[in-house]
Amino acid sequence: METIKSTVKEVLYAIIPVTVFVIILQFTVIHMEIATFVQFLIGVAMVGIGLILFLVGVHTGLLPLGELIGSTLPKTGKVWLVLLFGFLLGFVVTVAEPDVRVLATQVDYVSEGSISKNLLIYAVSLGVAFFVALALLRIILGFSIGYVLVIGYALVFLLAAFTPPQFVPVAFDSGGVTTGPMTVPFILALGVGLTSVLYGKSASSDGFGLVALASIGPILAVLLLGVIYG
Amino acid sequence: MSDIVIFEGFGQVMAEVAWALAPLTLFFLVYQFFFIKLPRRKVLEVVVGMVLVFLGISFFLQGVHVGFMPAGTMMGSIMGALSFNWILVPVGFVLGFVVVFAEPAVQILNQQVEKVTGGSISSRVMLYTLSLGVGFSVALAMLRTLLGFSLWYILIPGYALVLLLIRYSSKTFTGLAFDAGGVATGPMTVTFILALAVGVATEIEGRDPLVEGFGMVALVALAPILSVMILGFLYNRKEKTNG
Repeated sequence: METIKSTVKEVLYAIIPVTVFVIILQFTVIHMEIATFVQFLIGVAMVGIGLILFLVGVHTGLLPLGELIGSTLPKTGKVWLVLLFGFLLGFVVTVAEPDVRVLATQVDYVSEGSISKNLLIYAVSLGVAFFVALALLRIILGFSIGYVLVIGYALVFLLAAFTPPQFVPVAFDSGGVTTGPMTVPFILALGVGLTSVLYGKSASSDGFGLVALASIGPILAVLLLGVIYG
Repeated sequence: MSDIVIFEGFGQVMAEVAWALAPLTLFFLVYQFFFIKLPRRKVLEVVVGMVLVFLGISFFLQGVHVGFMPAGTMMGSIMGALSFNWILVPVGFVLGFVVVFAEPAVQILNQQVEKVTGGSISSRVMLYTLSLGVGFSVALAMLRTLLGFSLWYILIPGYALVLLLIRYSSKTFTGLAFDAGGVATGPMTVTFILALAVGVATEIEGRDPLVEGFGMVALVALAPILSVMILGFLYNRKEKTNG
């Protein structure tokens, strides 16, 4: 009950400032068609309800599950198993991530179907999956996140030179959207779980950075898509 | 005047969400069966959570389809056509600033960070740093859409500065900064602000919406990384002087 109350508050607090700002703009600068404005308000209500249900669901069902997977998976003691399930988990949560879906819908619409929604979603999910596995391997082997980030971004800039320019903004945007409310709890929990099993509770910094690495994967995946299709 | 639509295409959205959650469900079943073997009560909790998530994402996406995306695009094209369309830059700043409060992922990260660091990184400082960073980045993205310069002019110096700051920041702040970049780019940014930018790019002549409309999320991801890295840099210096 306490969770529901705080979630409702959180979502209201979240949506109201943007909505108020848009309402002010509507009556001072924009003056869009009333029907569209009403649609916007309906959208606000539905997004609000949706976010509340979604967050309560994440808190009651998925977050504990993520933490459980994060704490049990490393205890199997088999590196290949941790990497395999890290890969699979990265894939399945990204396919479910609402932000990725919204971005893919917009790209599909703007590109008039030439970069299709499903193609983008699966490319992005594979990118996340691969980099979650890589990030877990990094924690196990214990090398610095700085190196991985530098190499990762060097690859990004290299690949960007060979891809058509239309793919670049979409690629970077894809990197951003994979880190939504679905992916973050699972991936963070996995990292925190793995570090606490390997190094004890004290080594906090290693759990972080997982999300960062998980957002390089999709950039590379979409740039590759551009190299192949361009 | 067009009709008001609320639930048009909702069945299709629900089918899409069911399809999107199927792999996760399958993953859980396999994991449950082979590894954790949770008691029935716990499984029930996960199932209830999944149902809520299913309904939540469905409503959320429906709201985006019928409200945020059409209204965002229209607002963008109206403001792009104004004689004073530079107003998009301050509008972008305000939107970016307030939208950080709108991102559930920000709260999730703050909770996780508090849990792990024992509260030594104040969530208030984090929140203001993130909000300012995102405000600037949305303003910059709007400027880019208006003027049409390449995304590289921002990304290359931006990431170069980040990589430079990694050398002077502690490992904790580096990881934290990169994660902060991720969490600021949640549902509101992608649904509403991106639609706005795409609307602007469609309206202004000579702009390709695919090139100048997108890229917004990338900048929104970069700004918090930079702001937290700078925060880390300052904290480190302060700690050194105090110690």
